[in-house]
Amino acid sequence: MTAITVALNGVKVVDDVEPRQSLADFLRDRCGLTATHLGCEHGACGACTVVVDGLATRSCLTLAAMADGRAVSTLEGLRDDPLMTLLRRHFHESHALQCGFCTPGMLITARDILQRHTRPDDKTVRHELSGQICRCTGYANIVKAIVAAGQDLPQASAAPPDA
Amino acid sequence: MLRKEDARHLLGHGMFIADVRMPGVQDVAFVRSDMAHAQVGRVIKPVGGGAQVFTLPDLGTLHILEAGPELAAHRHSPYPALSDGRVRYVGQPIAACIAPSRAQAEDLADHVEVDLEALPAVVDCVAAMKPGSPRLFDSWPDNAFITSSVFEGDPALAQAPIRIRRQLRMNRQATVSLECRGLLAYWDYRNDELVVYLSTQGGHVVRIGLARALGLPENKVRVIAPDVGGGFGGKNRIMPEDIAVAAIAMKVGHPVRWIEDRREHLLASVHARDHFYDLTICASREGVLLGVEGEVYIDAGAYSLWPTGSFMEASMASRNLTGPYRIRHLNLQTYTVATNKAPMGPYRGVARPGACFAIERLVDEVARELGREPFDLRRQNIVTAAELPYRTAAGMRLDTGDYVAALDIARDMINLPAIRARQAKPEPDGRAIGVGFAFYTEQSGHGQVEWVKRKSRVVPGYESANARMMPDGSLIIHVGTQNHGQGHETTLSQIAAHELTLDPSQISIRYGDTATTPFGFGTFASRSIVFAGGAVARSCRMLIEKIRRIGAHLLQANVADTYIEAGAVHSPSGSVSFVEIAYAANVRQEHLPAGMDPLLDVTATYEPSETGGVFAYGTHAVVVAVEPDTGVVEILDYAVSEDCGTMINPMIVDGQVQGGIAQGIGTALYEEIPYDEIGQPLATTFGDYMVPCAPEIPTVRLHHLVHPAQATEYGVKGLGEGGAIAPPAAIANAISDAFRGIGASFNETPLTPRRVSEAIERARRIKSADKSPAP
Amino acid sequence: MKAAPFEYIRPKSVAEASVALGRRGATTAAIAGGQSLIPMLSLRVALIDLLVDISRLDDLKAVTATPDSTWIGSLTTHSQIEDGKTPDVFGGLMRRVAGQISYRAVRNHGTIGGSIALADPAADWPCCLIALDATVRVVGRSGVTVPRIADFIHDSYATTLTTGDIIMGFDIPAPKVPLRWGFAKVARKSGAFAHSIAIVTALGKDGPATVVLGAAGPRPRQMVATATQLAVAGATEEQLRAAIATDLDANFEGLDAYQKRMHTANILRAARDMRAQ
Repeated sequence: MTAITVALNGVKVVDDVEPRQSLADFLRDRCGLTATHLGCEHGACGACTVVVDGLATRSCLTLAAMADGRAVSTLEGLRDDPLMTLLRRHFHESHALQCGFCTPGMLITARDILQRHTRPDDKTVRHELSGQICRCTGYANIVKAIVAAGQDLPQASAAPPDA
Repeated sequence: MLRKEDARHLLGHGMFIADVRMPGVQDVAFVRSDMAHAQVGRVIKPVGGGAQVFTLPDLGTLHILEAGPELAAHRHSPYPALSDGRVRYVGQPIAACIAPSRAQAEDLADHVEVDLEALPAVVDCVAAMKPGSPRLFDSWPDNAFITSSVFEGDPALAQAPIRIRRQLRMNRQATVSLECRGLLAYWDYRNDELVVYLSTQGGHVVRIGLARALGLPENKVRVIAPDVGGGFGGKNRIMPEDIAVAAIAMKVGHPVRWIEDRREHLLASVHARDHFYDLTICASREGVLLGVEGEVYIDAGAYSLWPTGSFMEASMASRNLTGPYRIRHLNLQTYTVATNKAPMGPYRGVARPGACFAIERLVDEVARELGREPFDLRRQNIVTAAELPYRTAAGMRLDTGDYVAALDIARDMINLPAIRARQAKPEPDGRAIGVGFAFYTEQSGHGQVEWVKRKSRVVPGYESANARMMPDGSLIIHVGTQNHGQGHETTLSQIAAHELTLDPSQISIRYGDTATTPFGFGTFASRSIVFAGGAVARSCRMLIEKIRRIGAHLLQANVADTYIEAGAVHSPSGSVSFVEIAYAANVRQEHLPAGMDPLLDVTATYEPSETGGVFAYGTHAVVVAVEPDTGVVEILDYAVSEDCGTMINPMIVDGQVQGGIAQGIGTALYEEIPYDEIGQPLATTFGDYMVPCAPEIPTVRLHHLVHPAQATEYGVKGLGEGGAIAPPAAIANAISDAFRGIGASFNETPLTPRRVSEAIERARRIKSADKSPAP
Repeated sequence: MKAAPFEYIRPKSVAEASVALGRRGATTAAIAGGQSLIPMLSLRVALIDLLVDISRLDDLKAVTATPDSTWIGSLTTHSQIEDGKTPDVFGGLMRRVAGQISYRAVRNHGTIGGSIALADPAADWPCCLIALDATVRVVGRSGVTVPRIADFIHDSYATTLTTGDIIMGFDIPAPKVPLRWGFAKVARKSGAFAHSIAIVTALGKDGPATVVLGAAGPRPRQMVATATQLAVAGATEEQLRAAIATDLDANFEGLDAYQKRMHTANILRAARDMRAQ
């Protein structure tokens, strides 16, 4: 077992993990945070995307042991985040989800896109969404929601990155 | 109206099968066959882990479910929960291992030794029907689950001047719900019943099968579907893992669960498509389409899945092969063939993507032969509005609509003349531009007549709804169908709200628990809006009738003089709200009319008045750019004109069309599970299995025609599958159009860069050989 | 799809990591970003006893530039390069290559060192670093070696790395005049492994050209005849095609007609892009 300390959604979590345990399984099984979904477990679908030290991260491609000392945010921890609140509204209004399984990873990725791009256009959003699989919507409304959320942000810059 | 389902998912509070927490649960990992066809010798359990490893005899007495249509000619393919001494595809479960975590269960599975003695594998469905082919089932005379003929119309029509023969193939793929399958089962000692949480499209039907397989009475089995992360057909059959895990739960006395991983999903979940067509289309020189003849092969994999099996593919493919055209002659031989591959099941569109691909490609080939604009040939032969309702040569009753208008609108949306003008000049980047059309019909909401015709083991001829008004006037409606992303909570509450003059927010729609919902068949075959929508409407109307009677009594008015509006019963003498009425009906019976039973609690079933189905339809028009040497295809524009009758929630309709088209584009260009010559699957991760992402899928431009159905409530037609039907045909036609100058044809999906480039190269060689002087 | 058990350590220094990787009797692996290794562990196609986490070794993170060369530490991630956080004296080539690797969340953790160490035949960095004539600095129990990437990768998933070796980083010579380049890729879909990767560079307006083709065989190869032809003023497409054909035959075995056609088209596209600069 390996001892780890993670700042999880702003709360210090100390635990012993099996070295082989993925961050995704740690979040879901040890911490009970099931917003992070597993759609492929080999990094291709993006459903498990979380934020590690400010970076969008596949939690299935990261070991819990490697997250030691890092700050990890999941969708649960971004409940009151202003940018996520904006994205949620646009996802709802644009019908950007159907079954909802890809949604947490899409939202985390969308937030990351808006932190790096000022008012991204359709093409930019599509390129950035590569690797996020949605099997239901055909992506159009997801792209639309992210572009619209970007339009709602102040023109000067992309959304501020995580501290 | 925006969706009621969204809030929980946007906050990460969805409850999918892997999110269900159950104290003491243990995980299951399966030991699966790594050979396509083999005798299973010894299965050696690891020392010390024997009690955690289950083979078939360890599961106790299980009953084999006979699957497929109730036809004497359909051969039985007994499919055990775990191997019974023979394995018939790579991935077939041989043993199940349980441990406190999935990782530990996999450790255990790694240490189970299995002796397999290879048998010759059957991997090609056409070769499988040749004499001398190895056989999957020793007792069968050949490898066909069933062969059948469709012969309709006038054979003289086949003696046409234009006869064009083509071979077309739509290859095998997976269904790829983003949430894989999974279940959690335990014995509930308090209720003395088996509880099965299952990611399913229809828990009630699953309960029938599970109870039979396990030898339990159905009142001792409760199936609960949590949030279902997509299904598309892939979660609508009883699978061996379901039975094995339920049986283990009964043995061990604590909860066990199996969460399918992506590799298992691609290896051994429901596979789909895999049609091969060898067809001849007959036409006059004037371009009148006369007949279709030939053979249809369905590569159905190793077993029939309960309940329906895979004969639906052949029967639906052949009956849809006339498309929307006045083709009056059909002469087809179909073969539903057992091969050493994972069993085939339903997938969005079932059979029709293949049939549409075949007929729509053939129409373009006729046009090319005659030197005609393919669009015009379609328009010449398509059934007109005046001819509807129209019975096709295969006996389908196309009901309402305007097919010609759908064609014309799509042509105008895509701007056919502008594309033709653009094609006159070479593209600066060296690519070739093509435009393609495909027309589809989507039988939906079909009931008793259709399913009895198909000899279905269960006849999903109705759906049910239970409407219950609480003492405070709020409403809960339990439905027998299941939501897996289509927004039933929203749409069905809109219908109830409309009937009851309430706000949708006052209505809860519940589903997915056999303990609380009335019997229903689930979500498939584009049936939910027709059947469940109808059942909800009907239950609400029955409720209203009673509400009005109580209201009239309270108002001392005649029922005939009352009407409902804004959640109240009104009469000339005044109004009384549903709240007061509901309170009386539930807890103050002294206010009810004499002799009236208390409660506002109604269960209704619904079946449309015409049960052969109502037909949504539409035209897909697509423009592609193709780089001939790499074979890379880019979709430049995609336009759709479609008609699904009355739309309850247009936003959800648009989402279904766009999402269906994305899956259809997957079939057309990306998704495939190839097998090698010894039956090893070659795409078992998303590294090899291409699921299109946002850069690959265009935003589709949509136009709705609205010709309501006559046989359904409100005139709705089902539309969940339509989007997925036409893209392979439209895209293949567009690519063919881009290379019409050299006569290249693109008749095999997915149209990978290699397939596209090789087809172009073949055509180039033939063309240059034609040009060269005779030796 | 869960990894088999293994031991995990996170050494504090390169020397410590080197010793751990050389543990006698154990199958060991170094992990940096883990974006390729972890799926292989999860699929149980890679089975190891000990995982040595080198991802926090600051010695592998240095990025420096001199007039003569750029040093990129092996732990530099694809996204750091994509975002321009490393010196760019290659006219944006490295940024472009980085931005097309897999998906953003993967690029956030995947490292250039990990990519070179894995030597996947369809990976981008081997092509790019060969085209830029980079060397790799390897520290191991036998000291320091500095092979050229083209020599370091000798086969499919095979390098000259031996047990206990650690890649420190890459030394990339700075072009003396502005670099022109073209980069083209054929893949089944965005972010998927490539079926063809072509990188074409030229020094200045008329300087010598370099052409590297990847995903066509076990390792990327320089297309020498094509490069020579590209440097000829006024060379026609037919002459280029002939040169490409010569190079394909000389460098790659067993390409079928489609592969030859596809690689040729891809190289020509990269060349067009380069000439347009």
